[in-house]
Amino acid sequence: MARPVFRKSGAVHAAPRIAHLDHDRPLVDAARRDPARFEALYRRYVAPVYSFAYYELGNHHAAEDATARTFLAALASLERFEERARPDDGEGASTFKVWLFQIARNAIANERRTVRRHPASILDEATAAIIADPLNVEEDAVRRDEASAAWRAVGRLAGDRRRALVLRFVDELSTAEIAGVMGKSEGAVRVLLHRALRNVARDLGAREPANAETDALPDTPGPRDRRR
Amino acid sequence: MTLLGRDVVEVDALVTDRYLDSLLAAPDVASFTTGRGAGLGNAAGTAMRDSLAAAAAAGARLDRGVRLASERLTRDLPRFHPSFRFEERLAVRLAEAAAAMRLAAGAEGSVRLVPFPAPELPPGFDPLAPATGGDADDAVPFPRPLIIGGAMAASAISLAGAAWVAWRRSRTSGSAMARAARAAHALRRPVQG
Repeated sequence: MARPVFRKSGAVHAAPRIAHLDHDRPLVDAARRDPARFEALYRRYVAPVYSFAYYELGNHHAAEDATARTFLAALASLERFEERARPDDGEGASTFKVWLFQIARNAIANERRTVRRHPASILDEATAAIIADPLNVEEDAVRRDEASAAWRAVGRLAGDRRRALVLRFVDELSTAEIAGVMGKSEGAVRVLLHRALRNVARDLGAREPANAETDALPDTPGPRDRRR
Repeated sequence: MTLLGRDVVEVDALVTDRYLDSLLAAPDVASFTTGRGAGLGNAAGTAMRDSLAAAAAAGARLDRGVRLASERLTRDLPRFHPSFRFEERLAVRLAEAAAAMRLAAGAEGSVRLVPFPAPELPPGFDPLAPATGGDADDAVPFPRPLIIGGAMAASAISLAGAAWVAWRRSRTSGSAMARAARAAHALRRPVQG
């Protein structure tokens, strides 16, 4: 999380301007001096970016492509990155992380144009494979069911709500950072998240009693799947 | 509308946001929701107490369904990590791109166009007229300009990248980039003579 710092502005009578010190700034400066130092930023963010891409695309290969494009584009245009925090942006806005996720969002949108199908079965197989623990089958089955239900509930949300929820819960971005990534105001993102959570609550609540039966089905398409 | 001029939804969203801040700041959701660890005397316990206090303030006004859904998603939504193979392969690609950028930066300013001297042209020569005989390439009287600096840089990019990867692979360093270079080398198939 970026730390707020105060610095004097050029105007004599102006109020102190708040800038936000990006905690990635030393790494960004080093990468600008020597592109080989970009590796530190890559290692820090490769998993969050990949996770975001995987939630959006639902396919490991597509997520890998989007992740690769994101980091190659970020390295190529690192010179153009500017830390432009204003008081209204809120803490954490316009940091390297926000900039990187903006690139990721564009890369994912481009990748989505080439990936026409989002079969739920692939999502479930992938989730099961990742969560599965062969040493604890019983507990693992419960965890997998719960994760699967949460995954499906999020997958049934509309695009912006799902995106905001994934950025908040999976990548643990602040509301200000999500606003920067999505190009919305903080207030709009807060409302988006609140409504998304109400949808998820309703969805999980409605499916809770019949959980064992519905989750046993191999593939139950949600509204999002039916739209496609 | 409320007295503060905000919609009820906006106020609820603000409360939810405060709750999420506390929830995601907690060390783990299980101890957060049960209050376990609040009695700890160390820094983690202090952080936990702060989180619980903040959550109690926000959670008191929070819709129960939203609170439970938040806790459920925090606990159950999986995070994905790319395969080690992909991660290291991309690291090598980035390292090569970085090496190319360094070379390009080094070559900047040394790029210059060196046109060949124009040959004597016969009167009435039409450059768009089809060649009348022999090889078509031989018939072109204008050799294209040669970009020496750019050409050197372009051909040196892959050579420098290969040399750099080979150098990193041969080093015994345990750094991530050296591991990436060794991993990339291990993936190469032997060339059959």
